[in-house]
Amino acid sequence: MKVNDMSGRVKENMPDYKKDKKRVDGRKMDELRPLSIKVGVLPNADGSAYLEWGQNKVFAAVHGPREALPKHTQNPYKANVKVTYRMTTFSVPDRKRPGPNRRDQEISKVLSEALTKAVFVEQFPNTEISVFVEVIDSNAGSRVACLTAASCALANAGIPMRDLVAATGVGKAFNEIIVDLNKDEEDAPDAVDIPFGILPNSGEIVLLQMDGLLTKEEWAKVNEMGYKACKEIYEVQKKALQEQFVLSEVSEQNVEESVEKKEAEKKEIEKKESKKEAKEDKAKKVRK
Amino acid sequence: MRTTVLEYDLSKIVELARQGKRVDGRAFESARDFTLELDMCKNAEGSAIIKLGDTKVIAGIKMAVDKPYPDSPDEGAISVGAELLPLAHGDYETGPPSMDEIEVARVVDRGIRESKAIDFTTLCIKEGEACWIAFMDFYAVNGDGNLFDAGSIAGLATFMNTSVPKLDENNKIIKHEYKGKLQLKRHPLLTTFVKVGGKIMVDPTYLEEKASEARFSVATTEDGFMSAMQKGPGAFTLEEVNYMIDLAFKVADERRKKLFKAVKN
Amino acid sequence: MKKIVVPGELLSSERKRLGSNVFVSNGKIYSKVLGISEDADEKASVVPLQGKYMPQRDDVVIGVVSRVIFAGYNININSFAESFIPRSAMRDDLKMGDLVSAKVDDINELKEADLGFPRKMFGGEVIEVTPVRTPRLIGKNGSMLDLLRQGTGCEIIVGKNGRVWARGGNLELLRKVVEFIDANSFKSNLTNSVEAFFKAEGITVSAPKKESAPFATSKKILEEETEVLNADEAIGEEENEVL
Repeated sequence: MKVNDMSGRVKENMPDYKKDKKRVDGRKMDELRPLSIKVGVLPNADGSAYLEWGQNKVFAAVHGPREALPKHTQNPYKANVKVTYRMTTFSVPDRKRPGPNRRDQEISKVLSEALTKAVFVEQFPNTEISVFVEVIDSNAGSRVACLTAASCALANAGIPMRDLVAATGVGKAFNEIIVDLNKDEEDAPDAVDIPFGILPNSGEIVLLQMDGLLTKEEWAKVNEMGYKACKEIYEVQKKALQEQFVLSEVSEQNVEESVEKKEAEKKEIEKKESKKEAKEDKAKKVRK
Repeated sequence: MRTTVLEYDLSKIVELARQGKRVDGRAFESARDFTLELDMCKNAEGSAIIKLGDTKVIAGIKMAVDKPYPDSPDEGAISVGAELLPLAHGDYETGPPSMDEIEVARVVDRGIRESKAIDFTTLCIKEGEACWIAFMDFYAVNGDGNLFDAGSIAGLATFMNTSVPKLDENNKIIKHEYKGKLQLKRHPLLTTFVKVGGKIMVDPTYLEEKASEARFSVATTEDGFMSAMQKGPGAFTLEEVNYMIDLAFKVADERRKKLFKAVKN
Repeated sequence: MKKIVVPGELLSSERKRLGSNVFVSNGKIYSKVLGISEDADEKASVVPLQGKYMPQRDDVVIGVVSRVIFAGYNININSFAESFIPRSAMRDDLKMGDLVSAKVDDINELKEADLGFPRKMFGGEVIEVTPVRTPRLIGKNGSMLDLLRQGTGCEIIVGKNGRVWARGGNLELLRKVVEFIDANSFKSNLTNSVEAFFKAEGITVSAPKKESAPFATSKKILEEETEVLNADEAIGEEENEVL
């Protein structure tokens, strides 16, 4: 198919999603890549999460609320939610120079703004809630992966929020509106990439950026798909947070088993001791 | 998790050390057990995650083509960087590399480079024009002490498991195609010690490091060589240094055994 | 029905009395935190499972001296801000790293706590636990705390700020049991499991059936500490409401 990339240039041999009805990695238009989340993975953080989404792998850690420093950044009415987004040198195909670049800093800013809307910041004046997200492997959509992970880490830290934040990439590539673009789709000549993050209860949009050219009709389809995807993501987040705590009875059976084990061990030791004593007694007798 | 170190924590550790004990019940000569997971970062040519006790470090290698140094036109190179991420501890901050990060990177680098573990001439692509540079970066993701040893083990595992990309006629990397793995001649590993309350102990935890009066690391190879030494703060007697070197050979050999098993699988 | 809720999860669409860690939006009640809620309660409340220590008036806390200055001592109480005790308020001189027990008098709008009844703790050790789970260590009418004292013979003070101070007795065992309770705090049947835990070590304990005689063993307790301990028990009763 020939794809017009809107600047007049025409590319040949591109996929056509409208015709193929399938994406280059076999997914349906509204299908997300596999997503898994685990919380509480970093013992030194107040809250943490590890998330895998397609090839993306990210760690999120929360420190705080803690005293905001330097002192002049303290806000006597609320907490500062500060997200720091970074990538390792080996998380991208062409090695990334160590140290933050301008893209890292922009992403840090928009993620901070998104999470600030979710947290009850008035409850912690003069403090900073520091959120660190580190991408160790990536394939398009690392920032929404980080936002999804960060909101789990905040909940894991026990920080009060009005809602979790669920986020996904959504947009257009190869002539069709799709959700969760991968790298090949991001590089399509007609690609439009829209990081989209919401508070699931109210549907308020807290992260919204766009790259590309889109009509208003296309936007309507895009956000509809975005909302649907975020609902699915929210369920994965909820499960990850809940599965740490299984509301069962501390099994009496388990405790009984360990009691039995201990008594068996004790008996073993006693047996060994008495054998030793018997040997020593024998030796004494022989000497006599 | 509370990570503020209180004077109370440190005096407890010194007290225990004087009695011949450590907080986690280890003997002074016992290093912590570790687990290794390889190859999770698909964009890296080699990667490894190590858990040494609660210390968790991720290492990754990116291979790049560059011009060789003018004084060694037939050799490639390695370059090692380290970062102590704020993920790892409430006290760590982002920013330009701190002195601690620079030191740990350089010591791990020296251990591998000086041991001639890699024959740099094998990294030459075209003499005087093109060579491989292996960039190894390791990141502390959770810090409970001894990033030296964790970085050294993860780094070595990564070097042993790095695929070399294929090149086209213009010496540009062809994506997703590889020819073989990096070959190592020796396998150096760092072993780190601290002195607490006058007693020497191996593989310190974060609190043991904070409570220590001196620190020492030495890299040893399987064929009886030392390839790097680094004394941190404090002072040691000659007897103490010799004791640590002897113990380091033992500890490194144990760790190497485990490492080889993990890389084979 | 008890269930684990996440921040922003709907608790009730009907009117209910409002307890802790909930908020109202458009006439519905939602949870603010990751925690446990009980549907059947008349009050909509969530018991948090994690979280930093939020000082509240009358809390008993165990603090550590983090800085000594001429006017007094900075005390780390494991919260967002440190507290300050003036030298005049202390009978004994303190140095860095010393432990104190105190009661939270007042909190200002910056969540900084004023400490009253500060007293130096002599000897003993501190066990760290999750601050929001300390009520489980105290139990109904102090029943769990009593089990712990019986089973280990330690003097124990539970600080609401996630620090348990203990002295004498079998400290090793106490540490293990406290960690067990902290890890399983959200499960039911905990008291029986703790009894079984002690049994496995060859120690028989029994949860008191009556409210009187909470101290089964007599110990040489310093007179000041009894005061703090009694305050401790009173708080145990309060916390039970939420659970």
